[in-house]
Amino acid sequence: MASEKTLALLRRRLCDPSFVYSAFKSSPNGNYSKLKFLISNTITEACNNSVLLLGPRGCGKGAVVDLVLEDLKSELPEIISVARLNGLLHSDDNCAVKEIARQLCMENKLLFSKMASFDDNSQFMIDMLRECGLAHKMIIFVLEEFDLFTQGKQRLLYSLLDAMQTLTSHSVVIGISCRMDADQLLEKRVRSRFSHKKLLFTPLTTDDMQRLLEHLLYLPTDSSLPSDYLKEFNSNINNILSDNKFKEILDLLLAADNSISNIQRFLYQAISSMHFQTELLTLDDLKSAFSYHQRQPMLDKLQDASILELYILVCMNRLESREQDSYTFNSVMKEYKAIQDAYKTSDNYSKSVCQRAFEHLIERELISFANNRLRNLSVEYRPVRLLLSSQELYQSLKSNASCPAILQRLLNYETYR
Amino acid sequence: MAKEEGIPLSPGRKTRSSSFSLSSSLPQNHRTFFSHTHLELLHGHCHSEESISLDTLTSSLPGRKPQIHEILRLIGPLNSPMLPLLLYGGPSTGKTISVLQTFRYLNRPFVYAGCRTCYCPRILFNSVLRQLLIHEKNAGKGSSGARRCEKPSEFIDLLRISLIQVVNALRERNLKLGSEESDRGNMIYLIFDNVELLRLWDKSSTIVPLLLRLSEILKIPELGIIYISSSSPDAYYLCTGSIEPIPVYFPDYSLEDLHGIFMRNQSNPNLYSSFLSVVLKPFYRVTRRVDELSVAFHPLFEKYCDPLSDQCLVLDEAMKRRLFDNLQPHLASSLNDVFWVPSWASHQLKQEGEHRQKRFWKSIRKEASNELDFHMSMSVKYLLLSAFIAARNPATLDASLFDSSGGSNNPKRKRNLQTSLDKKDNMAEEILLKGPGSFPLERLLAIFQCITSVAESMVEDDHFENDFAIENENFRLTSDVLLQLSALCNANFLCKSGSCPLEGSTRYRCTIDEEMAVKVARSINFPLSSYLYRR
Repeated sequence: MASEKTLALLRRRLCDPSFVYSAFKSSPNGNYSKLKFLISNTITEACNNSVLLLGPRGCGKGAVVDLVLEDLKSELPEIISVARLNGLLHSDDNCAVKEIARQLCMENKLLFSKMASFDDNSQFMIDMLRECGLAHKMIIFVLEEFDLFTQGKQRLLYSLLDAMQTLTSHSVVIGISCRMDADQLLEKRVRSRFSHKKLLFTPLTTDDMQRLLEHLLYLPTDSSLPSDYLKEFNSNINNILSDNKFKEILDLLLAADNSISNIQRFLYQAISSMHFQTELLTLDDLKSAFSYHQRQPMLDKLQDASILELYILVCMNRLESREQDSYTFNSVMKEYKAIQDAYKTSDNYSKSVCQRAFEHLIERELISFANNRLRNLSVEYRPVRLLLSSQELYQSLKSNASCPAILQRLLNYETYR
Repeated sequence: MAKEEGIPLSPGRKTRSSSFSLSSSLPQNHRTFFSHTHLELLHGHCHSEESISLDTLTSSLPGRKPQIHEILRLIGPLNSPMLPLLLYGGPSTGKTISVLQTFRYLNRPFVYAGCRTCYCPRILFNSVLRQLLIHEKNAGKGSSGARRCEKPSEFIDLLRISLIQVVNALRERNLKLGSEESDRGNMIYLIFDNVELLRLWDKSSTIVPLLLRLSEILKIPELGIIYISSSSPDAYYLCTGSIEPIPVYFPDYSLEDLHGIFMRNQSNPNLYSSFLSVVLKPFYRVTRRVDELSVAFHPLFEKYCDPLSDQCLVLDEAMKRRLFDNLQPHLASSLNDVFWVPSWASHQLKQEGEHRQKRFWKSIRKEASNELDFHMSMSVKYLLLSAFIAARNPATLDASLFDSSGGSNNPKRKRNLQTSLDKKDNMAEEILLKGPGSFPLERLLAIFQCITSVAESMVEDDHFENDFAIENENFRLTSDVLLQLSALCNANFLCKSGSCPLEGSTRYRCTIDEEMAVKVARSINFPLSSYLYRR
């Protein structure tokens, strides 16, 4: 029972981004504190502001904004209203202004008409800004995927930032983007109205990493679990975290991708293995979770290919090593027939069967058409190319138990004939 | 027709649903769990069906036990939130059926949308919203009517509203029922199938990131999302970075798994397993896909069982040896076939009871392949052949092949042709590589004119030999050629190719292969090979 509750608790924690990033709430130089300070200052000084949050994917920008807004709403309930836009959905100006109007109406319990035009909606937005300014309220605009708003004419950005220039409005525009040069994408007139404040999200240091892991994995002492189980679990986690092998695994994991979301997914996979068996999290769970991260899809696909498909791949490799720049299925068949004539293997199949195997390879994305222009021709005449390197092919042929020995020899061009 | 016991349809490709349906030899009262087809699984999730146990789940899907365990532990216990999953593997490896059966075992509400049947964003959005509406109704809450949307922003709004309503309805229902009925949990799961097709859509640059980031955009913890795809996760990496879902890999079936799959639902397991021991290994070298293997095995098994009078016999070694010898010659020809579809001729002959002779089996195949299965008028056949010739021959040869009167019987012409052919050695290589070329309309009509004038003159010679006049109007060839041309284009025998912007005339390509052209030529006694440029 206790392990089930633990499992549920840990899973809930890992799937909640606010909890994950709240590990860094308390650090004074962190982005959370800086953003909160900025917005609270803007509220108290009753002015306008804009800020950009930049950082790679999965480093917690959206979560930080959510945390700050949640805290501010609980501290100052009546003062803040929020309008959220996403670049993927609302990059069109009409759509964006309609969405802003709809969200402002919802927050302030006004009726929203779907038939309102673009002019109506933008006029409503400007009026709303003025009214809120006069009533000492604040509107916060959160623009996610900010770089997608900078495509086209940037009308929305200009109108937002321009409306902020008047004396009576109180608003903050927060832009979130994963492109580090998002502010370079702004037009001149928009950029001049934009305060060049940027909050950068840097990769975590090892101390931060340690803090994050402890924050995520230690069970809280005030939970409803039995105390001896609690102590056992926490001491077990302590042992794992200080183990050298775990540190090695963590280093390898972070060498590829050191964002927080990568750690989140890694821990999720490790913890979910508690579903079927053990009471405690073991190092083996972490090791197997790491091995899932190390999967190589190309080699897996090659293990799945049948013998005829491997023959075709080897023929294409030979053609490529002869530096034929473009070849079609017909040339591959010629090579295949030549090999069958020379070696008289038992794998001599007809053209239609080989063509079916060829189409399987295209479906699996081990080979692809070299250019998309000649789409009207049938499969036999379109130029193709290999999507794997000779190294990968060689490696997988070696590790394939049922592969005939002749294929490995054929990979080297010199031994033919 | 007197014999109306039903025309046997071609075995066709075995789809997931048909391989799970009853084979005809099982007695009717032996309905087991396996009788649920794919569609029933999808529609049955709304009603409380009898749920299945974990053992039934893993035994019904041989070879998929580790994957099912992985899915189960990643989805987690009841009411536990989850990170998005991506299930990937080759086609026909049992991804969709595993997920659907797993949800039947878990008995939790889910919404299924396949990107193959919902082929554009609007249909996908509407399908998801409609299924959520059904869940709301089943959970006891009345609802406002169906919602429709076109744009992604509307979809996200409506989806958020629907999901919150469904979750609330589920929560209330669970509170009311207490412990009487099984608790289906507060969570709802979205399953997107065939996600690799999304990349081929028009607006793929917004749709793909939108769907893959659905859980972040919605921020609803009671939602779980599962993606099923044939491509590996690295096909979904976006330029601006992406949050990866957790991958689960479905490898292809191994030899033992395939054996297990084919042995299910067999009326005579001994007989079938001895058949499989002969047949499975050679075919495994060619292809590993279940649907292709089952299509190939079906006629072979009938052939295998032919000498047996009583199908329920227990086999001994001598019998097995005999059956194997009987089957051996057909194995080789079957390995080299892609699939075999019985034509009308072979069906009728089968009715006459002559199908047991080995020789006839082969001759049925040859006959079926030598004749055209459908009817075309004479002029269309000539047009098709002239298109084929225009596509295969380089344009510069036309002058030597056809003179102004159209005949090519001149011996001096033949000598000229031979010399000009020898000069163009490189062209043969190119044609082999590049395939048939495109030709303008004028060239097609010119060749057509030449051929038909030859044909008319030949026919007139024939007429003089035979004394009676044939009333066939076809030989006049006065039909509207352009009308026939558009009919050929509609039937995809010709297709339009890109046209030169300077000239403005359209160019065409011929899409039939040599086999079919030979068949057409044979049906009108046209000497095709003398017109084709060959090395």
